[in-house]
Amino acid sequence: MKRRFLAVLIVLATLPSALAAGEGAPKPFERGSWQKLLHAHAGHPTLVHFWGVTCGPCKVELPQLGRFMKDHPGIDVVTISADLVPNLPQATRSMLDSAGLASAENWIFGDGFAERLRFEIDPAWQGDIPRTMLIARDGTITTIEGSAEIADLNKWSDTQAAAIR
Amino acid sequence: MISRKSVARTVLAAAMLGALPHLADAQMSHQHASEAACEETVLRCASKVTPAFAPDGTLWLAWRAGGQISVASSKDQGKSFSAPVQVTRDRLNLDWGPDARPKLAIDAKGDIALAFSIFRDQAFNGQVLTTRSTDGGHSFDPPKPITANNESQRFEAIGFDPAGAVFAVWLDKRNRVPAQQRGEKYDGAGLFFASSKDGGATYSDARMAADNTCECCRLALAFDGAGHPVVAFRNIFDGGVRDHAIVTFTDLARSGELHRVSRDDWQIAACPHHGPSLTISPAGTYHVTWYTNGKARKGLFYARSRDGGKTFSDPLPIGELNRSPSRPQVIAGPQGLVMAWKEFDGQKTSINLMTSHDDGATWSKPTVVADTTDSSDHPLLVTDHRQTYLSWMTKADGYHFQAIEGEP
Repeated sequence: MKRRFLAVLIVLATLPSALAAGEGAPKPFERGSWQKLLHAHAGHPTLVHFWGVTCGPCKVELPQLGRFMKDHPGIDVVTISADLVPNLPQATRSMLDSAGLASAENWIFGDGFAERLRFEIDPAWQGDIPRTMLIARDGTITTIEGSAEIADLNKWSDTQAAAIR
Repeated sequence: MISRKSVARTVLAAAMLGALPHLADAQMSHQHASEAACEETVLRCASKVTPAFAPDGTLWLAWRAGGQISVASSKDQGKSFSAPVQVTRDRLNLDWGPDARPKLAIDAKGDIALAFSIFRDQAFNGQVLTTRSTDGGHSFDPPKPITANNESQRFEAIGFDPAGAVFAVWLDKRNRVPAQQRGEKYDGAGLFFASSKDGGATYSDARMAADNTCECCRLALAFDGAGHPVVAFRNIFDGGVRDHAIVTFTDLARSGELHRVSRDDWQIAACPHHGPSLTISPAGTYHVTWYTNGKARKGLFYARSRDGGKTFSDPLPIGELNRSPSRPQVIAGPQGLVMAWKEFDGQKTSINLMTSHDDGATWSKPTVVADTTDSSDHPLLVTDHRQTYLSWMTKADGYHFQAIEGEP
């Protein structure tokens, strides 16, 4: 906790990134962010959810994910808005807030060259959203295209919990 | 390791944000790394550019740049352009979806019909707006909604039929609320259409061609030899399968039977943001290209129909699967068919192209005709009936308009 607090102070010392890191404000997801994200969560079961503010199915799924996060404190929940939108951060943030995901680790595509960002994550991904990647403790990635069934997420979460015992 | 919750961070960050509101705003706006090279309304700053030839051979472009829609024309096949004319004046929230773009069509008199979508509220409900120019593109009427209905509309397509009427088709969510009031689940959006006998000044009442189609992919519109509109679109078939369908209209007011283009079996509750392309060759053959990630096949595909869209050939895979092929376009030009699509190798996006001189039975080997190392619009193909051209907007290298080699 002490180290964490120190890290917070360091982050706040560099103003622009500090503001971007404000609770609930999405961080810009740029070239190289994916590898950093994988590294930061290595060894922790992590759910990465790709979505966008104009995507109809996403609007339905996001609040379900908010409840999932509340019910599963042992899972790192990460959201990445893959829409490229002018003035998107405000809209993204308000949608995350109302879905109960303000305290998740939230990112937003911050590079206009979205093809390159997607390629770094999964060369086969053409940009369809929602999309969920379940990253197990051992790094195994399971990709769910389209809306995820919460029952499937619960099942995966249970296997992750069982893995530590 | 990322901390999930930290009270200290929350309080401090909130304090900083409160103390420095303008700095926070500046940071917010910088978080959006634009698809466009610059923020003005000029062509160089465009993120989407749509070409269309007028019957007299004039090339027209409509583009989205600096938050506005503008047009310009060229009498020399894209070498030089007229001074741009801004179509929109108000600060509109233009639809910036990957498959959204302004559409335009020009009739024999040189009148221009133009349509585009905006987000009209904070919930990202869309609205299709139309306008026209009757003075050769020097000025445009104030844009107005294509339909009086106020539910979400997006992904319009427009074209002049041979008799000079404008046909418009779009995706429309007006059936969602009534379905929900009946306690029914409503998927997707309706495929709605209307027409205009006065060059796009007024449109007929909207009618529905199909309900529960995929709500987030562009539509492909072409006219058959008899002048009937034909629309290819991503449908939602039973079980939530988002495969492609096609409808040939009986006339401007009557839809036709829906046929399936391919059984890809892509069952997904998601927005693929990736619509099809359609062209109809002089022989009357329908040619369709599309993207799928279905159980039966994955990637880009081409198929043709020689019976007016009732049945289609086996899908032909397009492009290198490990290079993320996307945005396939097909057009019937004077020298045959041309197909173009994007591929990405991890560093650069290339435009690949192939041709067919036997109405789609066989295709040439793909060749790379252009590339770029930053974001780019879809590659579009356009013909003036003497030559086929590639139209491609790129952030790093500007706007390309190039004749397809092998043509006169």
